[in-house]
Amino acid sequence: MTVILETKNVKKTYKMGDVLVPALRGVTFKVAKGEILAVFGSSGSGKSTLLHILGALDRADEGKVFVDGIDLSTLSDNELADVRLRKVGFVFQFFNLLPRLTALRNVELPLTLADVSDKECHKKASEVLKLVGLEGRLDHRPTELSGGEQQRVAIARALVNDPSIILADEPTGNLDTKTGFEIAQLMKRLNEEKGQTFVVVTHDPAIAETADHIIYLKDGLIEGIKKGGGRP
Amino acid sequence: MKRKTVLSMAWENMKQRKLRTTLTTLGVIIGITAILAVTSLGEGFNTMVTEQIEYFELDVVMVMPIGRETYLTSEDAGNISQVINEVAVATPVMQKMMPIGLYSGEKNATALLLGVNFTEFEIVYPERLVFDEGSLLQPIENDTIVLGYSVAHPETGEAFAEVGGEVTVEIYVGGLPPIRNYTFTVAGTLKESGAGTLISIDNMVLIPLNTAKEIYKTDYDMMFVKLVDQEYSERVAEEIKDMLQKPVTALAPSVMIQRAGNILDMAEIFLAGIASIALLVAGVGIMNIMTVSVMERTREIGILKALGAKNRNILSMFLAEAALIGLTGGLLGIPTGYGLAHFLSYALSTIRPQSSNGLIQGGGMSINITPVLSLSWVVGALVFGIAVSLLFALYPARKAAKLDPVEALRYE
Repeated sequence: MTVILETKNVKKTYKMGDVLVPALRGVTFKVAKGEILAVFGSSGSGKSTLLHILGALDRADEGKVFVDGIDLSTLSDNELADVRLRKVGFVFQFFNLLPRLTALRNVELPLTLADVSDKECHKKASEVLKLVGLEGRLDHRPTELSGGEQQRVAIARALVNDPSIILADEPTGNLDTKTGFEIAQLMKRLNEEKGQTFVVVTHDPAIAETADHIIYLKDGLIEGIKKGGGRP
Repeated sequence: MKRKTVLSMAWENMKQRKLRTTLTTLGVIIGITAILAVTSLGEGFNTMVTEQIEYFELDVVMVMPIGRETYLTSEDAGNISQVINEVAVATPVMQKMMPIGLYSGEKNATALLLGVNFTEFEIVYPERLVFDEGSLLQPIENDTIVLGYSVAHPETGEAFAEVGGEVTVEIYVGGLPPIRNYTFTVAGTLKESGAGTLISIDNMVLIPLNTAKEIYKTDYDMMFVKLVDQEYSERVAEEIKDMLQKPVTALAPSVMIQRAGNILDMAEIFLAGIASIALLVAGVGIMNIMTVSVMERTREIGILKALGAKNRNILSMFLAEAALIGLTGGLLGIPTGYGLAHFLSYALSTIRPQSSNGLIQGGGMSINITPVLSLSWVVGALVFGIAVSLLFALYPARKAAKLDPVEALRYE
């Protein structure tokens, strides 16, 4: 098994005024290539913080994070941005699409940031949107799309630069059960067809069903790891 | 990120907020308009002055006594032409500030009286003493009078007096009675001399010097010194001042022109500086709007950073917007400024200043300035417009670039 993501004793403390709030108190785990890992935990358990650190949006105070073998703690801010651009894709609870851009332009954004030519951008973004089932919605703006469709655009955007790993923060949290289930199934399909690795912070049993492993996080520590429904 | 991409993204952003972009750009347009209007009028004025220099007799030095009771004499003129080698002729003239009344039949006019030695004056100003009608018959009689162009051609269109006809001149001489009348015979009228001499003879009447001396009972109050070459004018002016044992001023036209040119240049820069304040105000407007815009777009900045945008990508996106505002404002402000200059020039040309004094250059004439758009000011204004926009956008753009991505994503 190839390890695509690894954390070693990751710690992070936030300062709220004069009070120090420990968010992560030493988290260690590995994610294999082609795996779906679900992270469960109550609010304040540190799951969002963990996701930000895994995605090079934030830095750990202590410990190490390796993405595709790269030690994030040694990187400059610019190099971290490059990791976000080329190694990681983000999917958020509230989609975080740019409202004034069409679905196609939203998906093209990471390619544009990576200096891909206009023609190639267009081709690749269209392909990925087709892959998530939105070939008929290329020129729609986010306001013209349903929640489920918006999340598909967001998944397409996360996917378009062929990242080593997609990090999803409660991707079904803002959707109804049926739509949430469809999104969970979409991720599962991408995982199976493309071998795409996912780390999904969630409360949703539908995702637990599709996950290979589930990590339970409590008060900044891993409480337990279980096999998910996705593993026979 | 490619420059083209950054610019097109900036352009899209600006289009999204049309009203705001338009108003912000308007500030820059006003700034550039003010600068361009002032400088193109200034350049036009400079060009006008430079063109007039061509009419100046650069080889004539004008000497004037300083103080009420100081006069120049025939001996002074004789000394100057004998002692200073570069002098061709030195001719004193009588010219009082007080206008005179002129009567010819039913018609009357006011003019300035100039007493001259016609023979010498013609050597000094051969291109000014050109007869339209009549001529000087030798010997020159004491009651000879020559009418300047404006006097001979009043605005009514009818000639003021016939050649050979008589005119009565009413002169304030002081003493008792203070105003006296003299009768002269018109020898001729002069062609238009135009502006550009040290004196404007178009609104003067010329009489023989000795007649003028008899009327006023004083020595002379001005002297024209013609040189063999204009290159000596400054030095000769100094020599004359040293030579005459009385307080006089000697003006070399070249020095006057140079000084006037320097003053004009300084005035242009000074006015452009004042106009630049408008552009600085526009810069503050840009900073204000961009600061608001950064706040509004905090989440968007967070998203872009999550997608892999580097700090410098965000910085260049905001700076590109500012640069586009500066460029657009500049491109629109240049023609507007030039147009405003034309309007102001038209407004100026409708003002006719009253002049009673022939000594003032261009006195009584309307001011006709054709604005000149100089390439250096156009380029300068464009560059300045973009530079000011960038400078004021730098702070908000840096603020945007340095936003913490996690904080920015949480921003509601």
